[in-house]
Amino acid sequence: MLLELKNIFKWVTVGGTRTFILKDVNLKVNEGDFISVMGPSGSGKSSLLNVIGMLDDFDEGEYHFLHESVHKMKEKQRSALYKQYIGFVFQAYHLIDELTVYENIETPLIYQDIKTSERKAMVADMLDRFQIVGKKDLFPTQLSGGQQQLVGIARALIGKPRLILADEPTGNLNSKQGEEIMELFKQLNKEGVTIIQVTHSEKNAEYGSRIIHLLDGRIEKDGL
Amino acid sequence: MFRNYFTVAFRNLKRNKVFSLINIMGLSLGISATLVIYLIVHHEFGFDKFQKDRDRIYRVVSEMHFPDQTLKLSGVSVPLIPAVANQVTGIELAVPFIQYSPSTITIPSTNEVYKNQPRLLFADEHYFNLIPYKWLRGNPSLLREPFNVVLTESRAKLYFGSAVNAIGKIIAYNGDVKTTVIGVVKDLNEITDFRFGEFISYNTIPARKDLRGNFSWDTWPSINSASQFFVKLAPGVSTTSIEKQITAIRKKNTKPEFAPIDHYLQPLTGLHFDPEYDNFNQHKGSKPTLFGLLLVAGFLLLLGCINFINLTTAQAAQRAREIGIRKTVGGSRRQLMIQFLSETFFLSVLACLLSLILIPWLLNLFADFIPPDIQFSLMADPHMLLFMGILIIAVTIASGFYPSMILSGYKPVLVMKNQAYANTSKTRKAWLRKSLTVSQFVIAQFFVIVTMIVSHQIKYSLSKDMGFRKDAIITMDRPFNNPEKGETLLNKLRQIPGVEEAVLAGSPPASMGTSFGTIKYTSYKGERETSVEVKNADSAYFSLYKMKLLAGRYPLKDSMKASEVLINNNYANFLGFTNPADAIGIVLDRGQGKVTVTGVLADFNFRSFHWSILPLIYTNIEANNGKYHVALQTGGKSDWSKTIDKIQSAYKQIYPDATFEYNFLDQTIASFYETEKNTSRLLGWSMGLCIFISCLGLLGLVVYTTNQRAKEIGVRKVLGASVASIVSLLSKDFLQLVLLAFIIATPLAWWAGYKWLEDFQFRDRISVTLFLLSGGGMMAIALLTLSIRIIRAAMMNPVKSLKTE
Repeated sequence: MLLELKNIFKWVTVGGTRTFILKDVNLKVNEGDFISVMGPSGSGKSSLLNVIGMLDDFDEGEYHFLHESVHKMKEKQRSALYKQYIGFVFQAYHLIDELTVYENIETPLIYQDIKTSERKAMVADMLDRFQIVGKKDLFPTQLSGGQQQLVGIARALIGKPRLILADEPTGNLNSKQGEEIMELFKQLNKEGVTIIQVTHSEKNAEYGSRIIHLLDGRIEKDGL
Repeated sequence: MFRNYFTVAFRNLKRNKVFSLINIMGLSLGISATLVIYLIVHHEFGFDKFQKDRDRIYRVVSEMHFPDQTLKLSGVSVPLIPAVANQVTGIELAVPFIQYSPSTITIPSTNEVYKNQPRLLFADEHYFNLIPYKWLRGNPSLLREPFNVVLTESRAKLYFGSAVNAIGKIIAYNGDVKTTVIGVVKDLNEITDFRFGEFISYNTIPARKDLRGNFSWDTWPSINSASQFFVKLAPGVSTTSIEKQITAIRKKNTKPEFAPIDHYLQPLTGLHFDPEYDNFNQHKGSKPTLFGLLLVAGFLLLLGCINFINLTTAQAAQRAREIGIRKTVGGSRRQLMIQFLSETFFLSVLACLLSLILIPWLLNLFADFIPPDIQFSLMADPHMLLFMGILIIAVTIASGFYPSMILSGYKPVLVMKNQAYANTSKTRKAWLRKSLTVSQFVIAQFFVIVTMIVSHQIKYSLSKDMGFRKDAIITMDRPFNNPEKGETLLNKLRQIPGVEEAVLAGSPPASMGTSFGTIKYTSYKGERETSVEVKNADSAYFSLYKMKLLAGRYPLKDSMKASEVLINNNYANFLGFTNPADAIGIVLDRGQGKVTVTGVLADFNFRSFHWSILPLIYTNIEANNGKYHVALQTGGKSDWSKTIDKIQSAYKQIYPDATFEYNFLDQTIASFYETEKNTSRLLGWSMGLCIFISCLGLLGLVVYTTNQRAKEIGVRKVLGASVASIVSLLSKDFLQLVLLAFIIATPLAWWAGYKWLEDFQFRDRISVTLFLLSGGGMMAIALLTLSIRIIRAAMMNPVKSLKTE
């Protein structure tokens, strides 16, 4: 089992009242799963993803990732953990505008203290794979939406993560570009990468093997 | 990895050119000031560090005790020296030398005559045991014989072209003291006060009767500061034991009717700094000034760093997104901190490079305040490089630590949701930033006001009537007292068309030097004794200078001794006469004789406005007329330079051998306020600097606030606010800060100005207009700084600021 969430609660206290963002979430994810998380706005989909990706805390419950208790870890340990195993893909791509395509993809490797020569090889591979070699010295503002998302995915993949978390990856793309991205995800999943995606689109959800419905912070339906 | 960081840093720099430039300039100013001050401090503390065993080297100095004062002299009586050398135990080395200022130096072999060469000594071989020189030719023992001279290489080159040529040649001092060059030494490379260039054998003095007399060779009671005596003590010997022995010798050889003299040992290390004893008429270091400068440097550097922190954190919002992404992509807090610190390092290095360009310019600009012959050369001073390196690292840590803490602390999730400022309601008030900016403005405002007070007083001092005419008057020295020549030249001068009047007299109504005596007045009321300024002139002088007689008549001319005098009104009042006419005919006792008062002069300022008007008398002695006073025609097209040329040729006709030198009286008077002028200049620059730094600080505050309130501005605009109303809304807050600074600074500046003005007996009131002008000026500058940024913020499209993804 890759990861497990047990009785996860997350809330904010405004005035005197407690508003729950995640309410008693229980989830088991195995390696090789392709999960789609769906639900109306405000149901907590992004928050769930952030908690799984260790970008955000939760207030109650247990989180085990590869049998390690994440909730007991300090920030440094958590950072080391998700650096190694998790890749994030955002709806808004979130590339660093001051860096070229090459440098954007390279950035995660820098934070993992990988040597320059190794880095060069790994980035070259990735550029090849996504067929964007010719664009390596361009800045994000010089690319189309689809190309930027590709770079975002390339960056998420460069560290060879075991898990990819995608928050509405096709939200800012047209239908054709979206299709290409989803096909790519399918391919990656075949190669053994676990994927959890948040999506509004039924069509995109079909690419996955399991659909989870969230409503008001609680898992309504888990299509196991 | 660092290459990546520097690439990003460099690109960020290019993106935010204005901000980066401001940051670099602010840091650079602090760094430049620190480097210059370090240079000065290092130089001043580096004097005379090269002599062997210098902690055992002392100078013997003297204190003469008169009934009403004690005189401290850096020299000793000449006969004391051999007595001490022979009789005192514990002295390893006794080094006498006498400073010599011959008016002419003649080189017979080249027929050249040099006038007023500086830094000559009569010295013996022991001098060269004290100060180690490299001998290019000859050796010290050759100085045992009289009428020998040793030159430094530069002097040898000056007189003879080279060191080789100099040996064996004759040098004649003042025409007839003929010496032979027997040695040449290499000029000293070290920083030292011993910068003498020619060394004539000490024994030359006793060999000639005139020199013997001039230098008081045999006189115990007289002390000539030119005659110096250095000693090196044997190890373990205490200074007190030496001082006791010297005093004993002095006592044995002093007659009771002469003023008692004590002798003390001044350590070599104190030579450059001691305010009480002269260091061969050279620039002296002042420890309080140096420590003050160090403080200033620290202060400026701190300000630069604080501004940097201010500006960087103000801009943090723009980097929030990048930080969030980097964290998501795996950056740990530590790694991000290192990134920001390396960016700061990069900026600091750039700032330092800029300083290197600024420093020579700064050294030139403040040349009046900086010790002469300070050189700035990285090659020659490796310690500078080391200091710069340390400085860069220190600045990086000081400026970069806090911002990198803040920046690396952003939570990635919040950033992704564009809520980087969600928890900034706490910091919204920005108390720290505001108080910092206010204090910067307080300092700047203080300087503005004080600068204006100083320059106002200077203007006042130069323009206020002193009680006599001071414009278009030149004075020349009279080479010697020959009444015939005097009359002839006066007549010639009076005939020159550009000359209004010419007289012979003592000093002009106001001059640098003073001459005074104690005068006693006895009347039926009692005795009144006081110090009185003594000047000398006849009636033509008073007419030239347009000075008024309040009562009586001018004194008759005396040839050698005064019998009749004028007194000023102030003295008349002092003596008890409210009506000037009542003082006519009284008799005053000058100690050397009695004089009768024939007239009372209207008061005038015979010194700078630092002094109040004091008692003064004018004698009319022919023998004391040492100066020519010439009033030039004013008004119309009077070409003074032509007139002065004619005066010069007339002068040369009468005194063909004398050098023609003249001074304009008003320039001489202006030089009374040299210190004030220097102060004013320094203040002006400080003021400019402080204003600049304060505006930097203000800019940082403005950027921070406009970024924070971007959403609020957007909402207001959507609701219908005009650009003008938003500009005034934002500006109001900042101008309140400037006003607050003005309120705080004004009493402080007033008090400081008042204290400084106390130095002046004649001063103008500090007017309210001055304060209002200063405050208004600062407000205007602040407004200018603010407006650029605020207007831009107010004009921003609300869509941009209200967009949420």
